[in-house]
Amino acid sequence: MKNFIILLTIIFSFSTLEASEVSEWFEKESNQFLEIINNNQGTESENYEKYKHFVNKNFAVKSIAYGLIGESIVNKSSKNELSAYLNVFTDYLITTIYKLANSNTSSSITLKDVDVKDDIYIIKSEISDKKSSANLYWKVIRTGSSFKIIDVIVENTSYFVTKKSEFNKILRKNRGSLEALIKEIKKI
Amino acid sequence: MKKHLKVILLIISITFLQITPSYTNEDVSKSGISYDEIYDPIEPINRAVLNFNFFIDDIAIKPIVKTYKFIAPDPVEKGVSNFFSNLKEPIRTVSFIFQGEFYKSFNSIGRFTLNTLTSLGTFDLASRVGMEKNETDFGITLAKGGVSSGPYIVLPIIGPSNLRDFSGDVVEYFVDPLSNNVPNREYIDIGSGLNERVEIDEQLDKVRDASSDRYEMIKSIYYQNRNAQLEEEYIQNLPVPKIYIE
Repeated sequence: MKNFIILLTIIFSFSTLEASEVSEWFEKESNQFLEIINNNQGTESENYEKYKHFVNKNFAVKSIAYGLIGESIVNKSSKNELSAYLNVFTDYLITTIYKLANSNTSSSITLKDVDVKDDIYIIKSEISDKKSSANLYWKVIRTGSSFKIIDVIVENTSYFVTKKSEFNKILRKNRGSLEALIKEIKKI
Repeated sequence: MKKHLKVILLIISITFLQITPSYTNEDVSKSGISYDEIYDPIEPINRAVLNFNFFIDDIAIKPIVKTYKFIAPDPVEKGVSNFFSNLKEPIRTVSFIFQGEFYKSFNSIGRFTLNTLTSLGTFDLASRVGMEKNETDFGITLAKGGVSSGPYIVLPIIGPSNLRDFSGDVVEYFVDPLSNNVPNREYIDIGSGLNERVEIDEQLDKVRDASSDRYEMIKSIYYQNRNAQLEEEYIQNLPVPKIYIE
C-alpha cells in the first residue's frame, strides 16, 4: 500500500512537472506571438519574416504537411516532390497565420488548462479582445527540450481536420498527384 | 391533415436516415468519426445551392448585416443576440426531455423564465447566476437516439445541414411551444435567421478567401461543430497527424 502511494505520488509529480513545463513554454510563446501581432510598424516583408521565424520555431510543419496528404502519398512521392510540397506548404501556413493575425485587433491569450493524452498536450486557452472571446485549443508534442504545435482548434474547428478534407478533395480529383496539390496551394 | 403531414415527414426521414451511411472512409479518428469523406451523394446540387446562397448573400443579406453591424453599438448587438437565443430555450427544454437530460431541461426552462422576466431575454442574467446555456436541438436528439447523419445537404438560404439535422429542424418547426403560440412567427424566424448570419459574419468573410475550395471547408466545419455537440471528448478525439522528425 505504502509503495503504491509512493508510486502514485511520483507519477503525479512527474505529470505536474510536465504540465508546468508546457504551460511555461506556452506562456512565453503566446506572449511573443502577441508581441509580433502588435508590433507591426515594420515593412510587410519584415513582418512576414517575424511570422516565418515564429512558425518554423513553434510548429511541427513537416508532421502537419505530411499528415495532410496521408502516409500513402508520402511513401509513393519522390524526395524532390516532398521537398517542393513542404516548401509550398510552409509558405502557405505562414501566410495563413500572417493574414489571420493582421485581421485581428490586439488580443490577449489566457491559458486555461493543460491536458495530456497519448503524449499529446492539449492546451486550452482563451483568446479575447474588447468585443468577444473564443476558446482556442493547441495540440502540442514534445521535441527534445521544447514543444511544437501539431494542431490549432478555434472553438470546435480544427485547422488540421479542415485542411485535410480540402487537400484530400484536391488529391482525389487529381488521382493523388502531389504536383496538382502544389499548384492549387500556390493559387490560394 | 397537418398532423398526418408531420407523421409522414417524420417516418420518411427516420427510415431514410437509418439506411444511409454517414461516412465512408478508412481514415477515421479515435472516436470512429471520419472527416475526410463525408457522405455527400448530391454534391453537384449542393455546390450549386451553395453558390446560389453566396450570390444571394452578396447582393441582399450581406449589405443588411454589414449596415446593421455598423449602426448597432456592441451592447445592442449582444442584446438582440441574447433575445433570439432566449426564444430557443423552450424548444431546448423539450429536446433535453427527449434526450433524457432532465437537469439540462430544467436549467433551460429556468433560464428562459429568469431572462424573460428580468429583461425580455436581452440580458443573460441566468449565466451570471450559474445557469449556463446548453446548446441542443432536435437533430442532436435524433443523433443521440442512434440516427445516422445521412447525406450532407446544402439548403437554399439556410445553408449547410444533413438529412438528420434537417429532419430535426422540421420537427422543431412543428413542436416549438413558443413559436407556435405567437402571432406572425415568420418575423421571428427571419429575425432569428439574420441574427445567426450576423453571428458568423466574421468567420464567413474569412472562409470566402481562405480556401481553395470553400464548399469542402464549410462542409468540414459544419460536421466538426455538430460532432462537438455530440461527443464528450471531442477535442481529445480529433484526428492528429503522424509525427515525423522535424
